[in-house]
Amino acid sequence: MIEVKNVTKKYGRKKVLQGVSFTANKGEITCLIGVNGVGKTTILNGIMNLTPMTSGEILIDGEKLTKESYEKIAFIPDAITMLPHMKIAEAIQFMKDFYNSWNDERAEELLGFFRLKKEERISSLSKGNVAKVNLLLGLALDVDYLLMDEPFSGIDIFSREQIADVFTSHLVEDRGVVITTHEINDIEHLIDKVVLLDDGTIVREFHTEEMREMEGKSVVDVMREVYRG
Amino acid sequence: MKITFNKRDPVYVQVMQHFKEQIASGKYEPGQEIPSRRELANQLKINPNTAQRAYKEMEEAGLIFTEGNNPSRITKDEQVLRNLRTELIGEAVDTFIAAVKPVNIPMDDLIRLIKEKYEKQKGEHS
Repeated sequence: MIEVKNVTKKYGRKKVLQGVSFTANKGEITCLIGVNGVGKTTILNGIMNLTPMTSGEILIDGEKLTKESYEKIAFIPDAITMLPHMKIAEAIQFMKDFYNSWNDERAEELLGFFRLKKEERISSLSKGNVAKVNLLLGLALDVDYLLMDEPFSGIDIFSREQIADVFTSHLVEDRGVVITTHEINDIEHLIDKVVLLDDGTIVREFHTEEMREMEGKSVVDVMREVYRG
Repeated sequence: MKITFNKRDPVYVQVMQHFKEQIASGKYEPGQEIPSRRELANQLKINPNTAQRAYKEMEEAGLIFTEGNNPSRITKDEQVLRNLRTELIGEAVDTFIAAVKPVNIPMDDLIRLIKEKYEKQKGEHS
């Protein structure tokens, strides 16, 4: 389980996060939702310890992030970090050299799943296919937790569908996934849990099926209540 | 398999309803093998935990059964199948009554109308 406990983050005088607490379980897809600039990416960076938090605590399976627990978790940023002239095969080789947890078999499977060709250069790919390569590079790591920053943003509907398919497959099975998004429509049926952020604080945290069962509300219904007041 | 989900009812309930309808109408035959939980999640584009929940509930309701490590199958229990048909027809009639009640039509006229329309639709579909 990832536990974010009473986390606050200030940039100078500006408070980006204020007393943020939530949990993300293994075997579940947790979705951080909020408009742009609300602090979603800062939270992911905080979990990875890429940005130090001003106060509060973040625990992975009950422990603070250490060199060992760092291997349990992967962060997939919203844009690919590989150089454009690299071939997909070279990007894969780079990851393989860098991470002990790289799983070649799964990488091959993902190439097939996304219908990507290893010899293609990243610069020659469509936006949707670049997003898939970006995702592949993270998903092929043998980690317990995956953090994905806006995996659906700015790409065509068919690529979005293909990426959504990953979530229902064994490629994600049993792992804990945290994704950030500001668009929920395509994926309402895919996610287990929703954490709604507004102005650096968490305004709602709920399981989607429970919300539908107990209150007969869709995720968008709850968002409308929260954001439109 | 394709289900058009609404966004406000629990997804597992909607999956169960789909199975009930397919079983009652005979589209899924008694003893027929059904997809694994993983396959179902993938086909319907739903969360695997939700698919798991739907199968668990259906198993408990006796609609499907699993022997050992074999794939799950549609029940062969005649009693369960009869009850299911009764349940679904009951639900449909309730919905129908709720819809026609405000119109305040005499019972005899209503029944005559049902017979006419039913025969006509039957003819069109066959």
